[in-house]
Amino acid sequence: MNKKTGSLSRRNFIAGAGAMSGILLTGCDMDIYTPPEIRSGLMGVSDVLTMASQRLLMSGQGLVKEYETSDITKDFPAWGRTNPEDENYQQMASTSFTDWSLSVGGLVNRPSSFSLQDLKRLPPRTQTTMHICEQGWSAIAQWTGTPLMALLEAAGGVHQEARYVVIDTYDGWYDAYDMFDVVHPQTILAYGLNGKDVPQGNGAPVRLRVERHCGYRNLKFLKSVQVVASVEDIGLGKGGLLSDYNWHWYAGA
Amino acid sequence: MALKQSGNWIHRHNYNVRICHWINVLCFTYLLLSGIMMFLQFPELYWGDVGFRGYEAIFKLSNWGLTWEEADALGNRQWGRNYHFLFAWIFLFNNLIYVGWNLRNRHFFKRMWPRRGELHKDNLKEELNQHLHLRAAKGDASKKYNVFQKLSYLIVIFVLFPFMVISGVAQMPAFTAISPELIDLFGGRQSARTLHAISTLLLVLFVVIHVFEVFVAGATNHIRAMITGKYYLPTKEKK
Repeated sequence: MNKKTGSLSRRNFIAGAGAMSGILLTGCDMDIYTPPEIRSGLMGVSDVLTMASQRLLMSGQGLVKEYETSDITKDFPAWGRTNPEDENYQQMASTSFTDWSLSVGGLVNRPSSFSLQDLKRLPPRTQTTMHICEQGWSAIAQWTGTPLMALLEAAGGVHQEARYVVIDTYDGWYDAYDMFDVVHPQTILAYGLNGKDVPQGNGAPVRLRVERHCGYRNLKFLKSVQVVASVEDIGLGKGGLLSDYNWHWYAGA
Repeated sequence: MALKQSGNWIHRHNYNVRICHWINVLCFTYLLLSGIMMFLQFPELYWGDVGFRGYEAIFKLSNWGLTWEEADALGNRQWGRNYHFLFAWIFLFNNLIYVGWNLRNRHFFKRMWPRRGELHKDNLKEELNQHLHLRAAKGDASKKYNVFQKLSYLIVIFVLFPFMVISGVAQMPAFTAISPELIDLFGGRQSARTLHAISTLLLVLFVVIHVFEVFVAGATNHIRAMITGKYYLPTKEKK
């Protein structure tokens, strides 16, 4: 049977948000209803309708459904890019990622670097969730990792003007996430899959889980985390690699 | 307009029905095309929560002559996703306006709700017989919808359209947070996708029969009526 999810109480949510030195997530903050760059014409209208309607329905920041361990799919698919060509990555992979580290920079109070051990020392979160790929497939897996919030707090918290967290990967991918997703407790940097280390095909050593989005925004092979006020200097300035190629930025649909 | 036969012009469709009908034609075309473009890049259907390539499937396009790679090359889900969601919104608003308007002016009740006796099996048999012999309604009978039209329109508008929207929404990742119950209601995310596809086939079947019947009943007169609202009713042919 599937476990029913509890939703995050408003008080916990506010306490959590308060701990982040000053992320504003009030109802009048229109940022959470619109992508960083609204596409022109009807496509932009459609994007905003989709994002705003879903964000309104998610305004309580409820959790996604968490499944029982018995629901876990055998042989969780390794889809898309499974082996980055990057030399540094290959080097680190050959030594079980002992040299890997994640740089956390931008608008944080203490820009720093986290090794895999550093990440594992932060309070972990384990969640069994359904991965939904925009291509059509879905499967259930258990992920263990560090909540993105906990990581940013370990880097001293973010500045007042922080709006997006930009993540770069070793397979050349980049994507920006707004604070609505960043503060969600199920947004984690996962180093464990089904109780083991994340295999290479699934994004070793650490991949992002942003559960309310399609699979392609759950980036693999993480390289760096950067907090920014605007995405205009990231790629072509549309908030992510696929958005730069005219995909919708918001991927909750 | 010069007409050899004697006859009358009657008012057949109000402007709201006409506008919404043609917007729906546009929406349906784009939704179907964009849906196919997405499906081609993952051309299998599954049941339950889980499904991926190599997993036990209930439908594989590769069994129907198109390999995964061939299908993938034909599809384009970037285009598909963009246009599917755009036309889904237009479709939703169009049909909410249509249903709201025609509930208010009692169009559904006056023209689509089957009358007493129409659902009696003798009548159904008789009307089915007319359909099978491709005999179009003449005279006064052609002024109103026949019982199969009424039933199919009601099913399309009040069953299949809402089902398409809800089974589409149940595939969206955000709904694992907004309403996982909705996904479970379908028996899982993959079941929702499969039912969305089956429901699409039913709508395509409806459109094929609908267009065929328009030709049986007189394409020019009927298409003109859906554009201008006016329908030409010959008087001589009345038996």
